[in-house]
Amino acid sequence: MSTEALTQLSNTTFGITLILYLLAAVASFHHLAFHRRGVLTTGRVMGWTGLAVHAASVVSRGLAAGRVPWGNLYEYVTVVGLLVVAAYLFTERVWRTEALGGFVLALVVAGMGGATLIYVPPGPLVPALNSYWLRIHVVMAMIGSALFTLGFVFTVLSLLQVRKERRHAAALTPARAPALVGADGGGERPADYVPAEEPDGSSAPAAPRGRLPSATTLDRLAYRTIVFAFPIWTMAVIFGAIWAEEAWGRYWGWDPKEVWSFITWVVFAAYLHARATVGWRGTRAAVLAIVGFGALVFNLIVVNTVIAGLHSYAG
Amino acid sequence: MPSFSETTYRSVVAVWRTLRSMRTALILLLLVAVASVFGSLVPQVNTAPGAVADLFRDRPLQAAVYRALGLFDVYGSWWFTLAYVLLLISLASCLVPRTRALFRGLRQQPQPVGDLQGMRLFAEGVVRGDTDVALDRSRRILRRRRFRVAPAAPGLAAEKGAARENGSLIFHWSLFLLLVGVVIGKGFGFTAQATVIEGETWTESHASYDLPPQEGRFFGEGMHAGFQLRVEDFDASYHPSGVPRDFVTRVEVIDSAGRSTGERQIRVNEPLSFQGVKVYQQGYGWAPVIDVRRDGRPLTEHPVVFVTDTPNDQRQPWRGVIKLPSLRPQVGLEFELFPDPVAGVAGAPMLEARNPFLSFQAWRGDLRLTAAQSVFSLDKRGLRPWRSGGIGLGQSTTLPGGLTVSFPELREYTQFLVKRDPGTWIMLAAALLIVLGLIPALYSSRRRVWVRAVAADGDGTLLQVGGFALQRRAAFEEEFRALADELVG
Ligand code: HEM
Repeated sequence: MSTEALTQLSNTTFGITLILYLLAAVASFHHLAFHRRGVLTTGRVMGWTGLAVHAASVVSRGLAAGRVPWGNLYEYVTVVGLLVVAAYLFTERVWRTEALGGFVLALVVAGMGGATLIYVPPGPLVPALNSYWLRIHVVMAMIGSALFTLGFVFTVLSLLQVRKERRHAAALTPARAPALVGADGGGERPADYVPAEEPDGSSAPAAPRGRLPSATTLDRLAYRTIVFAFPIWTMAVIFGAIWAEEAWGRYWGWDPKEVWSFITWVVFAAYLHARATVGWRGTRAAVLAIVGFGALVFNLIVVNTVIAGLHSYAG
Repeated sequence: MPSFSETTYRSVVAVWRTLRSMRTALILLLLVAVASVFGSLVPQVNTAPGAVADLFRDRPLQAAVYRALGLFDVYGSWWFTLAYVLLLISLASCLVPRTRALFRGLRQQPQPVGDLQGMRLFAEGVVRGDTDVALDRSRRILRRRRFRVAPAAPGLAAEKGAARENGSLIFHWSLFLLLVGVVIGKGFGFTAQATVIEGETWTESHASYDLPPQEGRFFGEGMHAGFQLRVEDFDASYHPSGVPRDFVTRVEVIDSAGRSTGERQIRVNEPLSFQGVKVYQQGYGWAPVIDVRRDGRPLTEHPVVFVTDTPNDQRQPWRGVIKLPSLRPQVGLEFELFPDPVAGVAGAPMLEARNPFLSFQAWRGDLRLTAAQSVFSLDKRGLRPWRSGGIGLGQSTTLPGGLTVSFPELREYTQFLVKRDPGTWIMLAAALLIVLGLIPALYSSRRRVWVRAVAADGDGTLLQVGGFALQRRAAFEEEFRALADELVG
C-alpha cells in the first residue's frame, strides 16, 4: 500500500475508534444508571472492537511513516490511549471493574480528541529522535503514563465513593497491625509509620458485577496500579537520561520536560510514602495521586506546546 | 537545671526525631517537587540564556528580583540545595537505624514463641511423633516453601520476603550514590566546545577550544587527553521535505602518542568515545576559503568560519568577516554567504551548496584591534563604508589599491561538544541499583509464620501455627491456609 493509502487508513480507523469508544462509554453509563445487562455486554463488545480498530490505526500509522508510531505528540497520545484501554479491558474481568468502562473510555476519547488538534501527517524522525534508547524510553513512558491514567480514574472514583460512603469512611483505614510475636517487626521504622499494605478488601463485601466497587476496593486498585506503574516510570526517566547522554552529552539538564518527569516521579514517591504515614493514608494520599497525574498531563500538554524545551516533541 | 550540653543534646535528639519521621520525609519530598516547578516556569541561564537576557532588557526590575531570588538558576540556588540536602539528611536518618536493624536481625536469635492463639491467622492440630519429630517435619515443610526458619523454643519462627526490606534499603541508599556520581563527574570532568573545519586537525587540549573549557575543581589544564582528530569530511543530509536526516563527521583518530587508530564517524546520537573523552556532533556551518591578495602577494588564504543566527531556519545568509590590519588604512571585509542563492531568493531554506555566492561590504579606517573583539563582527566605530560587491565560487574581484578577493573553495566546519564525565558510570550503577531495589521493595511482601509444639497426651504433639503478613494480607491468607493444612493436617 502507498503511504497516502496507509495514512488514509490510519486516519479513518482513528475516527472509527473514537466513535466506538464513545458508544461504549454511553452504554457503560447507561448501564450504571439503569442496570440493563444487555447494554453492558453491547458496550463491552464495542470497547473490544474499538481496541482492535485502534490498534490497526496505530500500526498503519507506523507503516505510513516507516518507523515506530510514536515520533510526535499526536502519535504519543494515541498510543497511550490504546494502552489505557487495553490495560482497562484486560483487567476489568479479574478486578470486577466493569462499571468503570464509561469513565475510562470518556477520558481516552477526550485525550484522543484533543490529539486531533495537534495532528501532523506521518513523517520521518529528526536525527536526535532516531535512537534505540528513544524507543525504549518512550515505550516505558507510554506504559507508565497509561497506568498512571488508569490509577487516576480509580483514585477519583474512590474519592467519590468515599463521599457516598461517608458514614462508613472508617473502612479506608484498616486496623493497626497486631503486635508481633517473636522476632521484631524487621527494620526500624519511624514512629509515624504504618505498613503500606493494600487496604484489606477481603472483609468488605464485593460489589455486584456491573456496580461501582466500594471506595476501599477502588483505593486498593488505584494503589496496585500506581505501584505497578512507578518502577516503569522510574525506568522511563533513567532511559531518558541515557538517551540524553548519548544525544546531547548530558544525562540531566533540568530541561522543562525533564523537570516535569522528575516532579511526576517525586509526587508518586510521595504518594507511596503517604500510604505508609499516619494521618496521610486515605484521602490525602489520593489527592497526591491526582496531583501526580496532573503533573503528567502538564508535562504532555503545557510543556510540549507552551514551554518548548530541547525535547523535540515540541512543535 | 539541665546543663547546657544536656539541652543541646535534647534539641539535637528532637531535631533528629523530627527528621526521622515519615511526615517530614513526605513534606520534604513535596517541597522538592514544588521547588522544581519554578525552574520550568522561569527561563534558566543554563538552558535559555537568551530568554534571561531578554527579560533583563525588557523588564529590568522584575529580572533583578528574580535574580536576587535565584530564580534564573533554580537548581543551583541555595533554597533548592537546602530542600534536597534536608531530604537526604532525613533519608540518612531513616536508613541508618533500618540498616543497623537489618544487620542486627541477621545475628539475632528470635525470641521464644509465645502464645499464638490470639493471632488472626491461627491453626492448630495434633500430629504424630514427639515434639522434635513434629518440629523437624515443620521445618522441612517451611523450607520447601522457601521460608527462612530459625529455632525459637518451644517452636520455630519462619520468615519470607526479606527482599522487600533489602530492596528498599538498596533503593534508598542508591539515591545517595546519584549525588556521588554528580559530584565526581563535575569535579573530575570538563565540558567544552570545539569548531573544526574540514581538512583540519584538532587536538584535545585546554587551549584548542572555542572558549576556555569548563573544567572541574579537580581537573587540571594539563590533564587533557591530548589525542587528535583529523576532520576528513562533514556531511548534512536532508529528506526531500527539508527535514534533517543525518549529520555526520568522518574523522581520523590519532592517539596521544601520534598513532592513527583509524577512521570513525561521529553523528547525532553516536558520540565518539576515546581515552575517557566523549565527542558529540553538535553543530555545523560553512567555511568558505577566501583568498585576499595585494599585488599578487597573499594576505590571507584560509577558510573562514561563518555563522548564522537562525541555524534551524536556513533562509538567512551566513555571516563572516576578514580583518586586514596590515593595510594602511586598515580594511575590514564583511561577507554574506548564500549557499544556494536560487533557493534563497525563492525564500526556501538554503540547505545544500548550489552555485554558492558571497556578497561583501568593505570598510576602511581603524579596526580598533587593540581591544578584545569578536572574530565574527567588525567594530565599526572607526570604520567607514568603502566598496561592496559579490563573487561566485571560483571567481574573484578586484578592489582599488591592487587588492583581489577570490572565493576558490567552499568547505564546511563541524562543531563538537567535548566532555569528560567520570561520574556517568556511577550514575548508571546507581540507576541500576535503584531499579533492582525498587522491584522487590514494591512487589514482594514480608510474611512470618510461627510454629509452637507442645507435647500432647500419648505420643502426639499439639502444633499451633500463627501467621502474619505486613503486606498483601489477602493473598497471604490463602497461602497461610494451605501451609497450615500441610503442617497440622
Ligand atoms: C529521597 C527521597 C525519597 C524517595 C525518592 C523515596 C522513595 C520511596 C519509594 C519509591 C518507596 C516505596 C518502595 C519501598 O517500599 O521501598 C519508599 C518506601 C519507604 N520510604 Fe522512602 N523515599 C525517600 C526518602 C525517604 C525518607 C527520608 C524516609 C524516612 C522517613 C523514607 C522512608 C521510607 C520507608 C519507611 C518506606 C517503606 C514503606 C513501606 O514499608 O511500604 N524514605 N520510599
